[in-house]
Order: sequence, then C-alpha cells, then structure tokens
Amino acid sequence: MIEIKNVSKSYVKGKKSVDDLNLEIKNGEIFGFLGPNGAGKTTTIRMITGILNIDEGDILIDGKSIKKEPLEAKKNFGFVPDSPDMFLKLKGIEYLMFMADVYDVPQNKRKEKIEELTKKFEIYNQLNNQIQSYSHGMRQKIVICGALLSEPKNWILDEPMTGLDPKSSYDLKEMMREHAKSGKTVFFSTHILEVAEKLCDRVGIINKGKLVFVGTFDEMKQKFKENASLEELFLEITEK
Amino acid sequence: MKKVIKLTKIFLKNSFSNIDSRMGISTKSKSKIIIYGLLFLYFAGLIIFLGYNLLDGLIAIHQEKVFVGMVLFMIFGLTIVQTIFSSINVLYFTKDSEYLLPLPLKPYQIILARTNVMLIAEYLIIFLVGLIPLVMYGILTKAGIIYYFTMIFAVILIPILPVLLISIIVMIIMSFAKLTKNRNKFQLIATLLVLAIIMGLAISTSGMKQDLTNEEMAQMVVQANGMIELVKGYIPTVDYLIEALTTKSLLTTIIEVLKTIGITIVGFILYMIIAQKIYFKGLVGNLFGGGTSHSNKEINQKEYRNSKLYKSYIGKEFKNLVRNPVFLVQCLLPAILIPILMVVVVYAGFNSDKMRLEQITQMLQQMPTNTFMIVCVILGVIQFFTMFIYISITAISRDGENAVFIKYIPVSLYKQYIYKIIPNIIMNIITVIITLGIAGYILHLPVITLIALFIIATIMGVFQSLVMIIVDLKRPKLNWDSEYAVVKQNLNLVFPVLLSMINIAIIVGTVFLLKDINVYLGTGILGILYIVLTAITNKYLYNKQYELANKII
Repeated sequence: MIEIKNVSKSYVKGKKSVDDLNLEIKNGEIFGFLGPNGAGKTTTIRMITGILNIDEGDILIDGKSIKKEPLEAKKNFGFVPDSPDMFLKLKGIEYLMFMADVYDVPQNKRKEKIEELTKKFEIYNQLNNQIQSYSHGMRQKIVICGALLSEPKNWILDEPMTGLDPKSSYDLKEMMREHAKSGKTVFFSTHILEVAEKLCDRVGIINKGKLVFVGTFDEMKQKFKENASLEELFLEITEK
Repeated sequence: MKKVIKLTKIFLKNSFSNIDSRMGISTKSKSKIIIYGLLFLYFAGLIIFLGYNLLDGLIAIHQEKVFVGMVLFMIFGLTIVQTIFSSINVLYFTKDSEYLLPLPLKPYQIILARTNVMLIAEYLIIFLVGLIPLVMYGILTKAGIIYYFTMIFAVILIPILPVLLISIIVMIIMSFAKLTKNRNKFQLIATLLVLAIIMGLAISTSGMKQDLTNEEMAQMVVQANGMIELVKGYIPTVDYLIEALTTKSLLTTIIEVLKTIGITIVGFILYMIIAQKIYFKGLVGNLFGGGTSHSNKEINQKEYRNSKLYKSYIGKEFKNLVRNPVFLVQCLLPAILIPILMVVVVYAGFNSDKMRLEQITQMLQQMPTNTFMIVCVILGVIQFFTMFIYISITAISRDGENAVFIKYIPVSLYKQYIYKIIPNIIMNIITVIITLGIAGYILHLPVITLIALFIIATIMGVFQSLVMIIVDLKRPKLNWDSEYAVVKQNLNLVFPVLLSMINIAIIVGTVFLLKDINVYLGTGILGILYIVLTAITNKYLYNKQYELANKII
C-alpha cells in the first residue's frame, strides 16, 4: 500500500511543482498516474521513491515513511525508472545478480526467478551480453526484471511501456494484473490513455501540481461527459 | 565556414553544460566566478613563482634564452599528452555523432568543428601555462613589441601540428573499427594502442639527440645563451619559433614565423585530405559496424552465486571503470602508468651516459637517506602521482543520469559512497607500492621506513578519496554527452590537484617545523595529523550523507 499525505514540493520558491497531494493506493490495486508533460508526475514518483526530498507531508510505503525510515520503505518497492539506459557496461546477468545482492534475494530463488522473468521477456539468451548491446526495448525489459527480482509488494513504474514490443507490453500488463490479483500494489505513470483505461482499477490525473481527479473511468465519465472519449475527457480535465 | 563555427559552438556548449543549468542556476553565478577566479589566480601564481625562479637563475648565468625553448617544448609536449586522451573521445566516442551523420553537413565541416573543439580545449590550458611564462620572459628581458606579437603567433601555432598528428594516428587506428567483431573490445584495444604508440614514440625520440661530450656541454654553458642549442633539433616548428622569439633581427623573426605558418598550413592540408578519406569510415564503423559480439552460451551456474553486497558493489564499480575505455585511461591507468613513465623518462634521459646514472645512484645511496626530510620528499612525490587518479572525484558524475539509482535502492547512502571510493583507495595503494618500490630500490631505505611511508600514504589516499567524493557530490556533472566530458571537461578535476598542493604544503610545513626530528617520530606526527583529518572528513560524510545527495536528481 502506498499512502501520499499532504505532499508538496517546490523547486523554485513560491512555485509548487506538487501541491498538497493526497492519494492512497490500496493493496490489490493497479493505479495509473496520468497528466500532461510537466504536470508533476515524475516529481511525485521521485518523492515516492526517495530520489527527491519532500518539502511538506509524508509518503508511506506499507506503513514505512520514506522520510523517516527510508531504507525500510525502499525495501518495500521495486522501481522502474523512465530511462532504461543504466549499467550499460554490465552484462545482463551481472546486473541482475547485482540487484539480487542489493535486495537480498535468497540464493535458492535467484536462478528460478531470473529464468522465469527473462524467459518471459525473451531476453534469457542475451544475459551473457553487455547491456549496451541491447536495443531500447531490451534494456527496458532487463530493468523491469531487475526491479521485480526481489518480488516487491509494491511496483512503481515510470512510463514502463515505452519501447516495449506488443508481446512484451502484453506480458507486462498480464504480470501487473497477476501482481494486483495476489493482493499487491502497482503504481505506474503513463501517457497511453488506452493502456490506463484497460489496465487500471483507478486513475489519478495531475495537472499543474494539483490532483484534479481520482477514481475509476466510470466515475470520470459520470463526473464529466457521459459519451465522451477518453482522450476528450483527459483534455477537458487538464485544460480546464 | 559559418556552419563550422556554429557546429564548434554547439560541440563546446554540449561539453561544458552541467547540472547547474539543469537546475536553473545561472552558470555565471557570482560564487562560481569567484571560485574559478581564485583557482586561476592560484595556478597563475604558482606558474609565475616557478617560472620566475627558473628564469632568474638562467639570467644569472646568461642562459635566459633556453627558457623560451623550455616553454615552447612544454606547450608542444602538453598538447601531445592532452590530445592523446582527448582526440579518441572527441572524434569517436561522443554521443552526438549518431545524430550528426544524417544532417546535411559536409564531411570537412564536421572534421573542422571536431578539430576546433580539441584545439580550443588545448588553448585554454596553454594560455595559462605557456603565455604567462612567455610574458614574464618578455618583461624580465625587456623585450620589444615584436617579441609579444611573435609570442602570440607561437602560442597559437605550436599546438596545431601535434593535434593534427595525433588525430591522424587515432583516425588510422580507428579506421579498422568496421573490421572488428567486437566493437567494445576494439574501443578498449584501440585506446590502449594509441596510448602505447604515442608513448613509445615519445620515449624513443627522447634519446634521439646525439650525445654530447662533457667538453661540448661545458662550452655551451660558458658561451652566452649557448645552452639554447640543447633544446633545438627535435621539432622544426619549435626550432623556428625559438629562433623567432630569441633573435634580435626583425627579418629573421618574420622569416621564421612564415616558415612555421607554411609548415602548419601544409600539415593542415595533408590532415584534411587524409581525414576526409578515413575519418568517416572509422566513425561509422565505431558507431554501427562490426556489431557487438553476441554470446548465446548458457549461463554458468557459478554466475548465480550470491555474494556480499560490498563485493558486488565494488565489483560493479571496477567493471564500469575497466570496461569503459575513457574511464580506464583517465581514472585507472594513471595510477600505474605515471610513476612508471616518470622512471622510464628519467632513465631514458640518463641513458646516454651510464656512468652518470651510476654516479647519481651511488651519490644518493651515500647520502643519509633514512631521514624525515627524505620521507617527506617521497610523500610529496606520491602526492604528485596520486592527484591524477580521478576515480573518487568522478564517482557520482560517472554514473550520469543513472546516478539517482543510489537514492532509491535500500542501501544507506554512506555505505554506497564508501563502496564508490574503494577503487580510488586501491589504485592509490598501487601507486604508493610502485613509488615506494622504486624509492626503496634507489635509496636503500629500511623496510620499517617503507612500511611507515606506506601507512601514511595510504591514510592520505583515504583522506583524498573522501574529500573528492564530497566535492563530486556537491558539484556533480550528471548530464554529459560523452564519458570524456566527465573526466576531462570537468572543472572539478582541479580539486585533486588543489588538495595535493595543500598536502604538499602541509608536508613542507612539517619539515620546516620539525627539521631534525627522528624519522619515525616525525612520520608518526604526520600520520596522526592525517588520521584526524580523515576521521573528521569521514564523520562529515556520514552526518551529511542525505544532504550531500540533494543535487542528484
């Protein structure tokens, strides 16, 4: 479970990039975080993951405060950043073993988990190669595998579908569904409205640092225009 | 030509942009100007101090003209050393090359702009280390206006040929890139090959000049400005410019400058002809050709074995350093190469006269070597060598935009900082062992003194590593276009030099204060001082671990 309580953040004095944000992502839920460019999505994700300090408020991951108990809170989530260009000089297997060491994945589970994830994403045969030789999509896949290796309860993914081929995108969505079904949490940001509509139990729309809508798509339609398309609804909410 | 100037500007802007602009902080902020102003004054002051003492001594024995020769040689040598490292990176390893190729630009425009970037980077340093001593010479020898004009020509002209020459060597080697099956390994091998070829050339040419007999040498020293002949005969353009700067005849000056310009133009034309033929083959080969070797072999069961986090983390840091040609050359190799190179150069210098070398070794061994003074001299030399290890000062910046990784994994930041500086400490120890091995061999120092020296130098290495990661955390350079920008076009790199200078000043100060102290007592006092400094720095890093990471976003 992820609880965001009265969170604010300013980069420049007097101008809040995230303004008094309140959100609760429950266990067993897939939550999509939407918003136009520069709305505050990445800032919010960076605060949840401890990359950015929180000016006001607090964020709890399974009850652990990212401010007060950062290490404990960080053990409770797996994070996929928006850019997969990381550890390019490491071989795929070296990266995954490093992540397994960081997250204390038990010896007997490593092989099984690495094989399961990498075979699902069809990169198992590439594990002996350096990540820099991977395509963008393959890099995205290896980063996702690294984040999911320790079976974290909460998944936090920043634009996870970018660069994935249709099959991998489908597989990831299936994995997200399975993860939520088992009573765990998925929080992800996306620009692809159709993905959010089909996948998410609830969505949050952020605009100019403020949360302008939280709820299901049905609720969104009821609140705004019954017959409007998703795109029209999104534009209406964010351009108000 | 307009396009060349624009391209050059863009390349330069790309190279020097840093975190500050990303965070919306003006790069012209006052504090920054003050810091760089002070650093400039510090280095300029150092150069003036050293240059003045040398020139003063030479004037006293009427050999002042040799000073001009030395400065011009230094400019030439410095350009070669700098270009060895910069050319391969600027020409081949910058990220923007891939975006540049599809643009409607003519090959010569790209080559010229890249060459300009290398030259401008040279001029920045050369104006500092070359122009200041030459102006000083002009003032002290009361030279006329012609001298100053010629001096400007000299400083502008001298770096051009070495830059072109080294670039061509690099282009020839890199033109084989498309033939390689493994691009990554090729980049590594090519870099080491360039380094080996140029160092080999430098060492072999250092013994080229015919040996002089003692009588000839004595005659040169006695004859007014006779020593100038000692520095001539190596590089034509340097010879012409020495003549142009030291002659009293205006006609000779004009002729010599014209000769230099002529040779430089010929060199430039040849460079452009060859470069247009081979540069793009190598560039395309390096970017796309040959591919990267794909291994489809099964994963060895051993690979799945878990290891302690510290081992895993430090291993990751070393892999990143070793597998990246730029980081390998700039961060790891200097620790091993610089002490060895110094010894090779000194030995090569004496090689022509074996008797002299033996005499010097004997003389050194007859001196009372086990003294606090000698210990301090060795520590000073180690400081000089270790300031070229750039691992800790780039520990955060090398990760680039991926540096945020350290903030979202469940490992304490302090622990990660320490893991990141361990490679610096290890390389520092290697430098210390090599230097002490050589010093111990030449000076026949007792083992106990060598052990004491090893301990202090290692503590100083830990201190330096801690200070440097703090500097990198406070001023990270995270958005770079090539690895080269992190390890070369990074103003933070003056800090290891600065700290080494401060350390040397502390060592010199201790020698003055504790002149005749027992070697072990003196060493012990220095040791305690550095243990205290290290402990304070470590405490600071621990207490401020979160605040220090604020710029990593």
